[in-house]
Amino acid sequence: MPGRSDVRRRLAVTLAGFGALTFAVCLLAPLVGSTSIHFSRVFDRSIPFADNVDAQVFFVARLPRVVAAAVVGAGLALSGVVFQALLRNPLASPDTLGVAAGASLGAMLALTAHADFTLLGVSVVPLTSFAGSVGSLAIVFALSLARRRGTSSTVLLLGGIAIAALLNAAGRFIQYLADVTETFRTVQWLMGSLDVGSYAPILASLVPFGIACIGFVTLPRVLDLISLGEEAAEARGVDVVRTERIALVSASLSTGAAVSLGGPVLFIGIIVPHMVRLIVGADHRLVLPASALFGASFLIVCDLIARTIIAPVEMPVGIITAIIGGPFFLWLLFRGR
Amino acid sequence: MLLDARGLSFAYRRGAQVLDDVSLSVPRGSIVGLIGPNGSGKTTLIRLLNGTLSPARGSVALDGVPLATLSRRDLARRIAVVSQETHVTFDFTALEIVLMGRYAHLGAFALEGPDDVSIARKALSATGTTALEGRQFATLSGGEKQRVVIASALAQASDILLLDEPTTALDVGFQFEIASLLARLNRDRGTTMVVSTHDLNLAATLCTELVLIKAGRVLAQGATGDVLTAANIRRLYGVDADVTFHPRAGHLTVVPLARTE
Amino acid sequence: MAAISRTISKGLKAQGSGLILAAALSLLPFALPVHAQARRIISIIPSTTEMLFAMGAGDRVIAIGSYDNYPPEARKLPRVGALIDPNVEQILQMRPDLVVLYGTQTELKRRLDRANIPNYSYAHSGLADITQTIRSLGTRVGVAASAEALAARLERQLADIRARVAKRPRPKALLVFGREPGSLRNIDASGGVGFLHDMLETAGGTDVLGDIRRQSVAMTTEMVLARAPDVIVELRYSKDDINNADMSAWNRLAAVPAVRNHRVILLTGEEFVVPGPRVAQATERLAAALHPEVFK
Repeated sequence: MPGRSDVRRRLAVTLAGFGALTFAVCLLAPLVGSTSIHFSRVFDRSIPFADNVDAQVFFVARLPRVVAAAVVGAGLALSGVVFQALLRNPLASPDTLGVAAGASLGAMLALTAHADFTLLGVSVVPLTSFAGSVGSLAIVFALSLARRRGTSSTVLLLGGIAIAALLNAAGRFIQYLADVTETFRTVQWLMGSLDVGSYAPILASLVPFGIACIGFVTLPRVLDLISLGEEAAEARGVDVVRTERIALVSASLSTGAAVSLGGPVLFIGIIVPHMVRLIVGADHRLVLPASALFGASFLIVCDLIARTIIAPVEMPVGIITAIIGGPFFLWLLFRGR
Repeated sequence: MLLDARGLSFAYRRGAQVLDDVSLSVPRGSIVGLIGPNGSGKTTLIRLLNGTLSPARGSVALDGVPLATLSRRDLARRIAVVSQETHVTFDFTALEIVLMGRYAHLGAFALEGPDDVSIARKALSATGTTALEGRQFATLSGGEKQRVVIASALAQASDILLLDEPTTALDVGFQFEIASLLARLNRDRGTTMVVSTHDLNLAATLCTELVLIKAGRVLAQGATGDVLTAANIRRLYGVDADVTFHPRAGHLTVVPLARTE
Repeated sequence: MAAISRTISKGLKAQGSGLILAAALSLLPFALPVHAQARRIISIIPSTTEMLFAMGAGDRVIAIGSYDNYPPEARKLPRVGALIDPNVEQILQMRPDLVVLYGTQTELKRRLDRANIPNYSYAHSGLADITQTIRSLGTRVGVAASAEALAARLERQLADIRARVAKRPRPKALLVFGREPGSLRNIDASGGVGFLHDMLETAGGTDVLGDIRRQSVAMTTEMVLARAPDVIVELRYSKDDINNADMSAWNRLAAVPAVRNHRVILLTGEEFVVPGPRVAQATERLAAALHPEVFK
């Protein structure tokens, strides 16, 4: 129960618990799917790979999906936690400052322009989508620099909302100009898909995600303090300007990487932090790593359901996260009070 | 002198001059009150005194050390601030709020040890909030919240405590509670304090010295009895008031009578 | 285009009225007076535009839809929108005596009825409906004889193809008409219903998704691996898509028989997504891809 002061012990318990959950989910998820495969056949070396359908399904179709789901889920959950603390707003999401809107705009531009090139194994849509997210981050960051004393969170919030609105409007305009097929492709992208089929896009997304994690590692305690208010944090010894910049850049890179990889499955970024807080309390030193682990597990499970519930066809994973996340969150909320 | 401010001048970017040539001194173990109308620059002065803002001209020194030479964490180890209201976004418990005061000593990566917890618990006990340790901060009453925030500032183990209108948002019962607490802390622990307030009666009961600020300048400063006069109140607030020694209260009281401007 | 056809079929299934309407209209030749003629026709559907020109009524067409690109003569005509954005004002202004529209365009139909402009509702599903529509549209327009000739010729051509591949073993085939560029995400494939499926079966292939009763299926890599098609046919019809076609993405599924045996084929052209008079050509090209030894 939250409230006791032994943060070391609570941290160990939290990491062990969520770590075990994530490990179990990662182990079991590739074994489950719309095609029935046998564990023994998957690892049977005597069958040549080209003839071993079970192994192909496991290693080519499912395993990359599980890894992608882990990265996307962790990335969005982490950025959700950081944005909620940075903006001192429990309803903030990875999209509040427009990063996901920029990513969506990038994807739409590629799909509408019928661009088709590949860089180091990464196809055009993830590339332009990431470029879009970096673009919107740059705009928000420039906005924050324009204010003396870094980023007053109200200015950041309002500016980010304005930029998000602008980028969303630009996206709608692109859709308006596009023909039916292009619009359809865009809608498909917006519903999210983790069916990556190979590791190249995952590895590519790990670069910005890794950079983001370097920032995330420095943040937990200072996020606690910043959530009391900028003045209060400063008075307790926090370099608020520097912290807010690190938080903004890390959370935006993480969002950009996740959305480019799996599409804007944004609900995870709002609800996973809250779910985790209901279990571990408000201390960000627990909430941050727990959210990464739980976000990964949650999205892996949602993707599993998405690809099995109406087999052989699939449901978009974004729908499942909302259908499951909403009621689950309500249950956690009412159980605790 | 513990805290020494000389010739402070400050203006926000593209704004009017907020403070002009303000000097004040805070003797060790005293409680200095900052009195002034809304917009006189009290909050800005508090921020200059704790090093959050840098003055355009002038300097602040703590125990002879200029604040500008100290890092943010160094500053936090020596100066703690209690603000008017604390909005907590997430469901921290009272103890967690108090433990946040240890950041200046621990930094971003060290986890609190048993020493830090004991310091926090002592701070809670000093403010009479031990029973609230496990309670959610957001569910506490106004007075309880302020006491926990003061405990958090105490946990910083600083030399001096700056309080920016600590009782303005509280009802008279809680005001009394906080005032007594601050007086007791000063008496029992020798905590030096600077309190900015609107409440002239609070200033009268609590503060040994007063600094009157009007429109960014020092109007008068000195011992409470010398400075808290009807004439000064008229110049400061444009209000005719009766300032008398109240035998039962044991200190000066101020009763406003009429507006003069 | 496939996306349009999918939207139409969804609309039809949901409403049902379009299909009934089309069925009712196909009986119109018996209900209308013999002298039914249309001289000022607007067609906003690519397949019906092609049909009208192919049956010799091209000179009567005064305006076409945004996506109608065949035959070349048609492109000179003014365009008045399509399924989602028909320009109702412009259509009314041109004072047509027949408007060919989609069965699901109820709003457009309502306004035409109010303006007393006759309209023909087009329903879209299988291969057989193409010739049926040709006949009924031809009668409605007043060129029944040449429409009949066109329909009969198409049926002969299709039967001919069927015959040529009759004795051949039927490879398991996957028909893909869209995916995210450069990757295998959001693959749109033809399901067991609709004219693409019928074309595939006529061309001598077994539809690997034949058991899925939908016109289009969102495919995943797992499904492709599990169903192991012998041939993958990818259809592209927009100029941009053709120029930039990158088939190397399929190499990721190196274990699929179609990829292993280098039988991933790209077929380009609008005739694959317009269920009109060129469907026989399209089917023949499809058959040539599936059975190259028969169609030298």
